[in-house]
Amino acid sequence: MWREISKFGKKMVQCGLTHSHFGNISVRVGNKLIITRSGSMLDEIDENMVVELDLDKPSSFDTIASSETIVHRHIYKETSALAIIHAHSPFAIVQSMISSTNLLVPTDCESKYFLHEIPIITGGVGSRELAQNAANALKDHKGAIIKEHGPIAIGKIVEEAFVTICSIEHACKVKYFSDLFLRGKG
Amino acid sequence: MFGWNGKIAKVYLTEKKVEIIPLSKEFLIDYLGGRGLGVKFVYDLVKPGIDPFSSENILVFSAGPLTGTTCPTSGRFATISKSPLTGTIFDSNSGGSFGPELKFAGFDGLVIFGKAEEPVYIQIHNEKISIKDAKHLWDKNTREITRELSGLGRVACIGKAGEKGVRFANIMNDYNHTCGRGGLGAVMGSKNLKAIVVRGEKKIPIFDEDRYKKYFQDISRLLVASPVSSKGLGEYGTAVLVNLINYMKILPTGNFRFSQFDFAEEISGEKINSTFPIKKTPCYACPIACKREVRDTEMEIPEYETISMFGSSCRISNIQTIMKANRLCNDYGMDTITAGSTIACYSELNGEQLTDEELLKLVELIGERKDVGQELSEGSMRYARAHNKSNLSMQVKGLELPGYDPRGVLGLALGYATSNRGGCHLRAYMIGPEIFGKPKLVNRLTFSGKSGLVQVIQNLFTAVDSLVVCKFALFSVGEEEWANILSAVTGMDFVSENLLEIGERVWNIERLFNLKEKFSSIDDTLPERFFQEDGRVEGRNIKKDEFLASLLEYYRFRGWDSDGVPTKEKLQQLNIQMQG
Repeated sequence: MWREISKFGKKMVQCGLTHSHFGNISVRVGNKLIITRSGSMLDEIDENMVVELDLDKPSSFDTIASSETIVHRHIYKETSALAIIHAHSPFAIVQSMISSTNLLVPTDCESKYFLHEIPIITGGVGSRELAQNAANALKDHKGAIIKEHGPIAIGKIVEEAFVTICSIEHACKVKYFSDLFLRGKG
Repeated sequence: MFGWNGKIAKVYLTEKKVEIIPLSKEFLIDYLGGRGLGVKFVYDLVKPGIDPFSSENILVFSAGPLTGTTCPTSGRFATISKSPLTGTIFDSNSGGSFGPELKFAGFDGLVIFGKAEEPVYIQIHNEKISIKDAKHLWDKNTREITRELSGLGRVACIGKAGEKGVRFANIMNDYNHTCGRGGLGAVMGSKNLKAIVVRGEKKIPIFDEDRYKKYFQDISRLLVASPVSSKGLGEYGTAVLVNLINYMKILPTGNFRFSQFDFAEEISGEKINSTFPIKKTPCYACPIACKREVRDTEMEIPEYETISMFGSSCRISNIQTIMKANRLCNDYGMDTITAGSTIACYSELNGEQLTDEELLKLVELIGERKDVGQELSEGSMRYARAHNKSNLSMQVKGLELPGYDPRGVLGLALGYATSNRGGCHLRAYMIGPEIFGKPKLVNRLTFSGKSGLVQVIQNLFTAVDSLVVCKFALFSVGEEEWANILSAVTGMDFVSENLLEIGERVWNIERLFNLKEKFSSIDDTLPERFFQEDGRVEGRNIKKDEFLASLLEYYRFRGWDSDGVPTKEKLQQLNIQMQG
């Protein structure tokens, strides 16, 4: 399973969706959760850079897992997700900071069709508040943006979550430039 | 003065006299407090070659500029002396509430000179210091002493081990907090000093309350965000490490002959949490609260190091036995790492697997210095050497290695070898980057890039020991945050680089002290077992040529010559005057 995580970790960095050191990826297998380790680089994931955790019962191994493990665990418990990606994509972060509402509506055709709307949620890094807000948002959305922090997306496989992360960034980038153009014009 | 009190008390036990002296602002900026302050005094005042048990040795108790404030994890103090176990300069710090109380009494530190004719204790109430008769307290262990004196204030004391000269006797404070490892409790005992009890009512003034509040929140937020401090240590104490370190195949087992223990689960943090009702007993101003005990019985939950030495290294799988051994050590006032490792050495040397009862009996005999306990109370290096089996002592510079097999964490291996107080993990806790990924995950199975990292972390930890704050906070809080809050408390401008330079200065002074004690680069090494072909565990040993290349590189990073001696230029840069 680490190979799947490694493949999309590399793609995330190559596509500029996150810098190497930021973000985390996990997969759910039964009542287990396999997640990238704290401090690991997403484009250098090997079998030693992921850790397997019990979904229900935190253990000492949580200490070497991503600091967002609490968020991943909560999402798996409250949704049917089998994979989660969290990234620090720049345009998504910018849009979460300048948006006046907590619901971002894409302006480009494909994102409108695919994402409908993107919730903007709040909560500190690795906090219970963020875990609850993320789980709530992802019950009826493919992805969300953590305010000032970055997008988080779910899927049945890692690739599906990856596609959503790509779509969110694309939607935010298009919206950013179109808003900029309109503001300049008007 | 803000943060500091600006004075220390010199207590002359031989003459039964006390002198209070001011500390200059320049001195405090250069050495901060805690370890830095104590190391400077010991370096200046202890003559080379003296017997650590002689009255010429001194013993320093020192707090730091943050001690006594509410800054997270700042409730600590340090003790510094020449160690009877290693012969090196030695500092050891402890939590609890003794350190803050010393500050509240109006002092940044105490320096103890000479030797009392008969047992005494020191009573401090604000700035009044009295030397009192302690004959009635002699031959008693630490819980009893603490209970007896606690009406007078916060207590730091020794047990029978310190009185009898066990070379790894501790100073215990607030019942179960420990200045451990190098036998400074035995130094205290050699001075006929049974205890220090302190009470103070002073408030520590803070220069800029608004900035202080901001930086306080920064540090608090980082502590919450880090899973190591908030979830791992907070939930399991340091016992969180047992399963993790076993999984990484670096858990010392059978005196470092193996690196995985089949019964690790039985002695793990998870097992402890599911077996006992736990009560947290945090140190002063500490939100991490890793210190724990069993509710109702007050039986201390052992630290990871204790579990690894009495447990896997002695191959004892009963957590209750380990807890009893821990309690005995705390009560006698003895270091659990050296006690456990020396017993593991004894077990290997005699080819015996100890029963639980035999282990506990040995701990007691060491505390009493009776029968075989007398030999073992010298520590594993002297014990193994006396039996012509020096290779069975798992130590560096006479200090037993703690619970991480260096064959699987090579940065830590270099840290052990270059530590100024011997085989210690707390000079540069490379488990942070090599296992926890804090601040950044690095490859633990290579020496590449480790020399520079080890010396920077050593400098940082030395500064942190001088503030004095808890190293566990370093999993999430960096030098920038400490410099910020130190500036807000003292009103002086500190930046990260200042802290690292202070750490480097103190580290170099420690090195100079040890060189004068005839330590050399030859002592910057590891037990031979780790280099030998038949010393492989999990297919791993340490390649000596790689280790030596890394050591030489470390010297270069430090600005030392190829013999590990600080150059004149380096000492000038750090404003260190050579003694003698």
